[in-house]
Amino acid sequence: MIPLELVTKTLAAALRSGGDLAEVYVEDRTSLNLTMEDSKIETALRGEDRGAGIRVFFGDLVTYAFTDDLSEASLIAAAHAAAAAAQGSSYVQVIDLTQRQSPLEFPIVKSFDSMTIADKTALLCRADEIARAYDPRVRQVLGGYQEVNRKVWIFNSEGLHVEDDRNIVELRASVVAQKDDVLQRSTIAFGGQKGLEILDEHEWDTEVRDTATTAVKMLDAKPCPAGEMTVVMPNGWGGVLFHEACGHQLEADFITKGASAYAGRIGEQVASPLISAVDDGTIPGRRGSLRFDDDGTPSQRTQLIEKGILKEYMWDLTEARRAGRATSTGNGRRESFRHMPMPRMTNTYIDAGESDPDEIIAATKSGIYIKMMAGGQAELAKGDFVFSATEAYLIENGELTTPLRGATVMGNGPKVLTEIDMVGNDLALDPGIGTCGKGQAARVSVGQPTIRIPRVMVGGTA
Amino acid sequence: MTDYLALVRDIVTQAAARGVEAEAIIMDSQETQIEYGTGAVEKLSQARSKGLGVRVIDGGRVGYAYTSDFTPANVAKTWQAAVELAAVASPDDYRRLPTPQPIPDDDLEIYDPDFEAVSTEAKIDLLRRIEAAVLAQDKRIEMARQVVYGDEITHVYLANSNGFAGQYDRTSTFSYVFAFAREGEHAVEGIGIGASNFFAELDPDSIAQEAAESALMALGGETVPTQTCPVVFAPFVTAMLLGTMAQAMTAEAMQKGRSFLIGKLGQDIASDKVSLMDNGRMKRGLASAPFDGEGVPTSATRLISEGVFENVLYDSYSAAKDHQISTGNAQRPSHRNVPRLGLSNFYLQPGVKTPEEIIGEVENGIYVTQIMQTGGIDPLTGECSMGAYGRWIENGELTKPVSGVTLATTLPDLLKNISEVGNNLRTIPIMGMILAPTIRVDNVMLGGKED
Repeated sequence: MIPLELVTKTLAAALRSGGDLAEVYVEDRTSLNLTMEDSKIETALRGEDRGAGIRVFFGDLVTYAFTDDLSEASLIAAAHAAAAAAQGSSYVQVIDLTQRQSPLEFPIVKSFDSMTIADKTALLCRADEIARAYDPRVRQVLGGYQEVNRKVWIFNSEGLHVEDDRNIVELRASVVAQKDDVLQRSTIAFGGQKGLEILDEHEWDTEVRDTATTAVKMLDAKPCPAGEMTVVMPNGWGGVLFHEACGHQLEADFITKGASAYAGRIGEQVASPLISAVDDGTIPGRRGSLRFDDDGTPSQRTQLIEKGILKEYMWDLTEARRAGRATSTGNGRRESFRHMPMPRMTNTYIDAGESDPDEIIAATKSGIYIKMMAGGQAELAKGDFVFSATEAYLIENGELTTPLRGATVMGNGPKVLTEIDMVGNDLALDPGIGTCGKGQAARVSVGQPTIRIPRVMVGGTA
Repeated sequence: MTDYLALVRDIVTQAAARGVEAEAIIMDSQETQIEYGTGAVEKLSQARSKGLGVRVIDGGRVGYAYTSDFTPANVAKTWQAAVELAAVASPDDYRRLPTPQPIPDDDLEIYDPDFEAVSTEAKIDLLRRIEAAVLAQDKRIEMARQVVYGDEITHVYLANSNGFAGQYDRTSTFSYVFAFAREGEHAVEGIGIGASNFFAELDPDSIAQEAAESALMALGGETVPTQTCPVVFAPFVTAMLLGTMAQAMTAEAMQKGRSFLIGKLGQDIASDKVSLMDNGRMKRGLASAPFDGEGVPTSATRLISEGVFENVLYDSYSAAKDHQISTGNAQRPSHRNVPRLGLSNFYLQPGVKTPEEIIGEVENGIYVTQIMQTGGIDPLTGECSMGAYGRWIENGELTKPVSGVTLATTLPDLLKNISEVGNNLRTIPIMGMILAPTIRVDNVMLGGKED
């Protein structure tokens, strides 16, 4: 993207007033977005974003400047802007840049170009037809297709030179059904770090029809009861629970400041012995996967919790340096060249246990089963989490009965982790459309087997 | 420096020569962001960036493309891509670019002429003062975990092939802090936030005080029994509720069946204490601009008047569909976005009572200073549930801290049950620009422990 000679010059310019480490991050991003609503393809949008960020470390201070102009003059000006806040006394030399390859392969079987844009819009229009044909109560269908190619080049004054090529595809359809004053919505969505082969891995037509079925079925849902009760969480998407309730508390920026309930507790029992948890950025095809993170660190599999014992946090370069660690765990991520990296999750999941998922429900006398949910949120200092169910069912005598609407589950993450009393053998990752917001957007995956929380607060109007 | 207004005009002229309607926007901005923590600057970022977005409408079909590369060849490639993309969209006769209207030239006071003279040191000093003020509030406040300052000077240039061409400049600054409080084994954070077009208007003391109060109110605490009770929401929480509710009050949400208020226009939908306004021409409003994201003059719209649902927000597309005129609510956060119907400066008309008086009238209820929700407040289904923290109110007095409870109602019920609106309008820069007071809502289902 930019010649190595210019990279070296830029790094030297960034270090002209001193500093411990300088970095050049170059990004070239292209995307295509198609949206459908009201049975129409509303917008076809193509975008490109190209630019570079220059970062300089002076002890605990990090300065940054970015530019969307990759000319020499502009890169050097940005390097000088980043250097301007220098107070450092250390001076380092730029070491030769030799490219390092990743051993990871994230194959793209069918490139984004293997289908015309018209064929991609046809997928969305078909979802509209199928859902509306299913039932007259289907009032609206929203469809979306997105493909993103994000190429990054990362260089630093210690000789780092790596590249990553990230391809993300995503397809979604949301069906709205109406009966009198009641509106309900159900969504099918999938994606990943892969090509259009994802369409072969799914039965789009069937999945859209099932979604319409759910939206119509939820029209008869009853208001959820309020109070403490047993909650069974599904595999896959259910992993939002761990992501929100504990994952964020294991991110190093909350650890180094002592703001997390898990700070200083490595080696301690922090969860039920049934719980092992992993962050793994190396899994092919997954939305949160990276060959190298946005600090240029190779992505890795990190065992966070093993049989309830806390093993490791998730580190980026800045926090690792702050804590005096030799290496990060490859969790430094940034939304774009306009942002500095921070510790983020990649693909994070609770590992498989031994219970049969059907038996977990059968063993539950009364409670609720969450089938689908809309995101989640955490209060980090308290460790509390909340998420809202979009599809839930009452469990009565070991069987799923009445569909419920308006259910919100709230609990304390660290506490819930010690209380989970059944873990299924059906580990699955989510369908691949999750985006985590922590000041910056990051594409992530979550996952888990079916799990049971014996007692947790459920909010509802009944 | 390049004349960007001439450039956007030139782009739409060239694209229009292909027989399409065209609109081009350039946003050129300069921004600073500083993160301060525990006595020192941790992160400092500065940049100048620009971007071009081109919207093409070809027989009612919309194509859009954007870029940040302004070389002539790439600019041509970008508008050509928009022309080509329009071919795959569906035709819709209501999709037309607006015809130019006179833009009122009153000064909205959204540009701080002294802004460029504010030094980085002055910005860092503001953060230092916020940190000191947070720590001085109470000994249980352990740290200001994150103190952030950000600003932006933006120059907007917009032209369309119907002859519109306009330009304005805007400055904006914001600062927020997370106050981290601890007592025994309980820890909690509270956020304080300030935003203004003018640097001098950021008040470190009020930002610090808001953060500290929010944290201390929610520190420790336990759940209470499940019950139906009145709830008093602090302004920050009111803003989150209003922001979600507002998404149901756009013409688009109505036309497309995405609103719990479908068919309710003209009806009494809220308590008579409720009057909701959106004003894109508010002086010193952070969302104010002379014209909206597609060149239509901004305006003031009364959405709810003493409980009656009177108007919805329009952009030119939804207005054409309803044979109305646009309220100038096409929003454009960046050149990467197609104009999208949304809020400008949105506010609940303040009442006469102070927050203390409102709390003082509650016999048994909860004062809520923080909520957690995602998707639990849904402008489509009207469902409304959240996790909440705050203080229990007994005989008009704030008593023990409460945490780990859920609140649930529905948006239609919430609107009807707003029984008090405070006189304390606060600017909360979330989900658009919302100005919100303290409110009291009756008959909310609180989920807690069993009796």
